[in-house]
Amino acid sequence: MDIINGLAHGFGIALVPQNLLWCFVGCFLGTVVGILPGLGPAATIAILMPLTLNMDPAGGIIMLTGIYYGAKYGGSTTSILLNMPGESSSVVSCIDGYQMARNGRAGAALGIAAIASFIAGTVGIVLLTLVAPAVARFALSFSAPEYFALMAFGLSLVVLLSGASLLKGLLALLVGLWLSTVGIDLFSAQSRFTFGRSELLGGLDFVVIAIGVFAIAEILTTIQHRQEGTLIPVPKGFRNLLPSREELKASRFAFVNGSFTGFIIGVLPGAGSAIASFIAYGIEKAVSKRKELFGKGAPEGLAAPEGANNADTGGALVPLLTLGIPGGGTTAILLSALVLWGIRPGPLMITESPDIFWGLVASMYVGNVVLLLLNLPLVPLFAQLLRVPTWILFPVIFGLSIIGAYSVSERIFDVELLAAFGLLGFLMAKTGFPSAPLILGFVLGDAMERALRQSLMMSQGDLTTFFQRPISLILLIAAFVILLLPLVSWFNRARVRAISEGA
Amino acid sequence: MKLSAWVATAFAVTVTFASASTVQAQFTPKRPLEIAVHAGPGSGNDVFARALISVIEKNKLSPVRIQVANKPGGGSTTAAAYLASKAGNENTLGVFTNIWITDPLVSAEATNPLTSMTPVALVIREPGLIAVKADSPYKTLQDFIDAAKAAPGKLSQSGGSVLARENVLRQLLMGATGADWQFISFPSGGERLSALLGGHVNMMIVEPGEATAQVRSGAMRVIAAVAEKRLPGFPDVPTLQEAGFNIPNLPQIRGIVAPPGMPKEAVAYYSDLIRKATETQEWKDYVVENGFEPAFTTPEETSKFITEYTEQLRGILEKAGIKLVAR
Repeated sequence: MDIINGLAHGFGIALVPQNLLWCFVGCFLGTVVGILPGLGPAATIAILMPLTLNMDPAGGIIMLTGIYYGAKYGGSTTSILLNMPGESSSVVSCIDGYQMARNGRAGAALGIAAIASFIAGTVGIVLLTLVAPAVARFALSFSAPEYFALMAFGLSLVVLLSGASLLKGLLALLVGLWLSTVGIDLFSAQSRFTFGRSELLGGLDFVVIAIGVFAIAEILTTIQHRQEGTLIPVPKGFRNLLPSREELKASRFAFVNGSFTGFIIGVLPGAGSAIASFIAYGIEKAVSKRKELFGKGAPEGLAAPEGANNADTGGALVPLLTLGIPGGGTTAILLSALVLWGIRPGPLMITESPDIFWGLVASMYVGNVVLLLLNLPLVPLFAQLLRVPTWILFPVIFGLSIIGAYSVSERIFDVELLAAFGLLGFLMAKTGFPSAPLILGFVLGDAMERALRQSLMMSQGDLTTFFQRPISLILLIAAFVILLLPLVSWFNRARVRAISEGA
Repeated sequence: MKLSAWVATAFAVTVTFASASTVQAQFTPKRPLEIAVHAGPGSGNDVFARALISVIEKNKLSPVRIQVANKPGGGSTTAAAYLASKAGNENTLGVFTNIWITDPLVSAEATNPLTSMTPVALVIREPGLIAVKADSPYKTLQDFIDAAKAAPGKLSQSGGSVLARENVLRQLLMGATGADWQFISFPSGGERLSALLGGHVNMMIVEPGEATAQVRSGAMRVIAAVAEKRLPGFPDVPTLQEAGFNIPNLPQIRGIVAPPGMPKEAVAYYSDLIRKATETQEWKDYVVENGFEPAFTTPEETSKFITEYTEQLRGILEKAGIKLVAR
């Protein structure tokens, strides 16, 4: 009953015209930030924070949070159209999103992304509203061994991301893992693989690697094939700009999977939405009856990660609002914004600042509707982008990529890295190495190594710690089962061969 | 803790605005001022820099615009390299903290130690609080130390890098008591806090600002303060010395440095600007709200502090067995 009263009270605050306007401004800015590669929601919120200090706290926090979840909507746009992830959480959306565009379904892909974002984003907030305190306790029960097992499960998904050759997928994964170790090691303060370059002390930046391996490599590959005219066919007629009934039907499970996977991983401090989107994609493919379509433009392969990275927002706000624990970069900034207004998130927030708490939660329901209405009309507009001939489009993508890489730390070194990774991606594409496992290794490697070392420190070197804890054990078994998948299919093929030869 | 710094602080605060006119305003900035910060937006330093800027702008203390330049990467290394590249420049400052001192001691690639920069001012000290989970059996720091002694290596503390103050304090405490417990690194404050509240580690050192809400909601218990005197927000919490631990209260410092070779007049001007800013009511409120201690010092005092603190930290890290760079 409390929840219903609270929500009613919250909608009373969120629907005040002034706050509606702030919600719209936040969502709009978020969409723009999401589309532009290199400019992240965290930096945007930090820049705008001082401007909001003279505002009413409810309006200010509604706007800043709007930027946070709005950016998740925009992130997939460039992934789908240009194979160029705008945020770390939209890398996985490149895999099938860009292939859909190449099949002439760019509009449909953008539509699926917007719908998945809306459904999962809303489910995430519903869960935040209903089960936040209980889920927060679950998040706290997650210790280093569970994180390690979760990352191991994530890594096992390499068998689903490798395409034709598992060996090449594993090699790409190892390169990604290696890249994730570059920089100063937190545990010993020693630098690893920095080759005396101070620029490498901070490690490699995710956006630089992803844009290089995806966008730049794609351009180089296309140039090599000397394709004239436009890059991608754009279907005529408005009907073809929307997802078809079949595409929506195929994505049914993905909407649910993305919603729950994204929310659960979002709750865990330090896991992050990139991991959530990878795991949602892996689960989607593991249970799919048409695995062969993944990586060739399966709508559910776009809907699952896109949903996950939006539901992740609702999850990430659970520990922030109920425990005062920020789980990632953007939530840390939201926390400092709240503190500047004299609001301390935590168990007492609901009773001490009900206006802010419920006003914020209610505004997110409103914001997701706003984002859907904002993004759907943009679909035909963005789809038209692909009509631009390649001789105009490629230089523009190149320019955007360079600006994106440069703006990460405002230094030319990252642009040099971008060129190196572009070349690496190009060579990988030529030799049949899949790029997704490389990114997977890079995203998970850091967290996995950390969790392993933390676990062994806590257990004083006892390896059985991973099998004595139920959640960790279940995740490790799941990882093991997924690793066995290729063996099973290999056995089946071998059996079929043996029977046909015997016949 | 240097008494001279405290005397100077008290002195600086008692001096009225009238003295501002005695400083010959030979230097006036003509271009926007840039303040380099070694971490991303929303990090402690970033928020600190933006708070300082907003106080300066609100009180119209600067004729030019001031902006933050985020230079994250390799702890303080990228930001320090950036300042070094601006040698002699009159329109760039940086916010430094302890890691500007420790990074160059440990990383061969960090070739711009704080002692090579132009010191401007210390601004605040951040006290630390030693905290345990609310339902923990340890009511005092002595309880924790005794338990750690009874089972060496079994208890653990969550923190950041091994170079962070939390680990240096742990080394000092272990050295003074003969107890032994683990230091487990987590990259973000949120994860350190989750590890404590989830019961996966036994102790951590938090900032007063972080602790206030957790203590009020009954999730956390604070058992000792790393400060010269008891903190206003935590009157029942003894300082380390009151609790019977005779180790130095290593301050977590936030201060302002300029690139190497900044002209003297410009340094005097910025020192004065920061002093005026720290004397405003808004700044005093900000300091109290976050549980900081005001620590304003002149450029000369700042220089002396940096030199002495560098040697002190070098000695502690060496003793802790961390591999240092021979310079």
